[in-house]
Order: sequence, then C-alpha cells, then structure tokens
Amino acid sequence: MIKYILVTLVLGVAAGYLNHIFGNIFAGIFVSDYLFNFSLILLLLVMGFMFGADKEAAAKLKKAGLKILVVPFSVALGSVLGGLIGGLILGINVFASMAVSAGYGWYTLAGPLVGQLFGVEFGALGFTVNFLRELLTITTISLTVKIDKYAPVAFGGATTMDTTLPVIVRYCGSEALITAFSSGFTLSLIAPFTITAIAALQ
Amino acid sequence: MLNLINLAFSLIAGILLGYFVRDKKRFNLGGVTFGAIVVLIFSLGFSIGSNNELLNSLPRVALNAIVILLLTILFSVVFVKMARKMVKIE
Repeated sequence: MIKYILVTLVLGVAAGYLNHIFGNIFAGIFVSDYLFNFSLILLLLVMGFMFGADKEAAAKLKKAGLKILVVPFSVALGSVLGGLIGGLILGINVFASMAVSAGYGWYTLAGPLVGQLFGVEFGALGFTVNFLRELLTITTISLTVKIDKYAPVAFGGATTMDTTLPVIVRYCGSEALITAFSSGFTLSLIAPFTITAIAALQ
Repeated sequence: MLNLINLAFSLIAGILLGYFVRDKKRFNLGGVTFGAIVVLIFSLGFSIGSNNELLNSLPRVALNAIVILLLTILFSVVFVKMARKMVKIE
C-alpha cells in the first residue's frame, strides 16, 4: 500500500512540476482543486459508509465518547511546546517558531498566515515545516503505527481530516476514523486562532 | 470554512447510509477506497509540484524546518500517548 502511495506522490509532484514549468499547458486547477475535492469527498463518503456499517467500530466510539476530543488538544499543546523548544535551540524568534508549529500540518494556511504576521522568512518556514509534517505522516505511517495506535493521528495534526485520513484508516483500522477526523477537524478549526493568538502575545 | 463543512457533511452522510444498510449485505469497498486514495495523493503531489513558492523555499529553510518539525511531532506523540493513558481511550 505505502509503496503505491509513495510512487503516486512522486508522479504527482513530477507532473505538477513539469506542467508548471511548461507554462500550465494543462489547467492545474482541474487536478489540484476539482479532482482533489472529488476524490476526497468520495473517500469520506465511502469511509463513513464502512464505519456506519461496522457495528464494532460504532460501539468502540460510543465507549470513548467525548473523551476523543482530548486527542486534538494534546496534539495542539505538544505541537506548540515543540515549536517553543525548537525556537530556543535554534535561537530564533520563539513566538514565530510556535506559530509555525501551530499550523498543525496545514501548510496552505500556515505559510501565508505566519508570513503575514512574522515576515516572509518565517512564512517560508511555516510552509516547509507543515508541508513536511504532512509528507512525513504519509511516508512513515507503517512505522509510526507501531509506536502507538494513535501516533499517526498525532503526526498528522490538522491533515487527519483530509489528505492523511484514508492512509490512517488503512493502517489504524476503521475505528480510528472518527478519532482521526474529529482531531483533524478540531485542529483545522483552531489553527488560525492559535497562530494569531501567539502573534498577539509577542 | 465551507470546505470544513463540506467534508463533515460527506462523512456524516456516509455514516448514515452505512448505518441504514447495516445487516443487509456485505460490502467490499476496498477497491473504491484504493482508487480514490491514488487520485487524492496524485492531486496532492500535483499541487505541491506546481507550487514554486513552496519548492523554492525548501532548501533555504530546510535545517530549521527539520529541527522544529521533529520536536513538534515528538511532543505531539508524547502528549497524545500520555493523554490516552490518563483518560483511558482505547
């Protein structure tokens, strides 16, 4: 499974890159927007369907209840703390490094927003850190799932509601669907607020 | 924001559909999921490849990015692990 995903990812990057340097012969928006959204919505429908039809998965979720919301808030706290320590080690503006980490993997948000609040250099850092977070979640999943059943959910941050969700469900099982989705959803909701709040602190 | 709502709506619609056909039939949707994952990952790669701003900034900020990323992920995993123990999530 992971082999196909990696090959597809590389092919996608190469296709996007070539299309871009040849002056967008093919309207990229069809792939990066329409095709992306279509496959994502189809996946959510199918994964939801399988979850709804699976009695055990629903029973497990019922047992955990609202406690699963502990997951995204732990990810948020852990991320910001990681950003703080990273900033201290590197000797850069710690508020900026915390804001970068508070993108939780959502690079199309973190790049521009951190850039606007802390300057272009940190915008680039926000882009890169969060982009690599998404990439690392997908590429290392077969290993990280062995650390902890929900380690991939922690890795994925805000991306576990869309791009990394199907891969997580494949490796962590159908009962991880709601935990992963709600974690990604919550983190996506709070990411813009945490980034702006951290900027207001400095 | 609209996108968040769209995604949540699709998931809920799927769950309800699955719930209503429960016990009726055995479904094997592995093929559909696999196909859709391939399309999704390809289009993700495509938008990364078309994003020059992102690709150009990669080498310049790579070292700082790796340090921050590893610590961010490390503490996220540690905190989730601790929280799972504390509130006992299976």
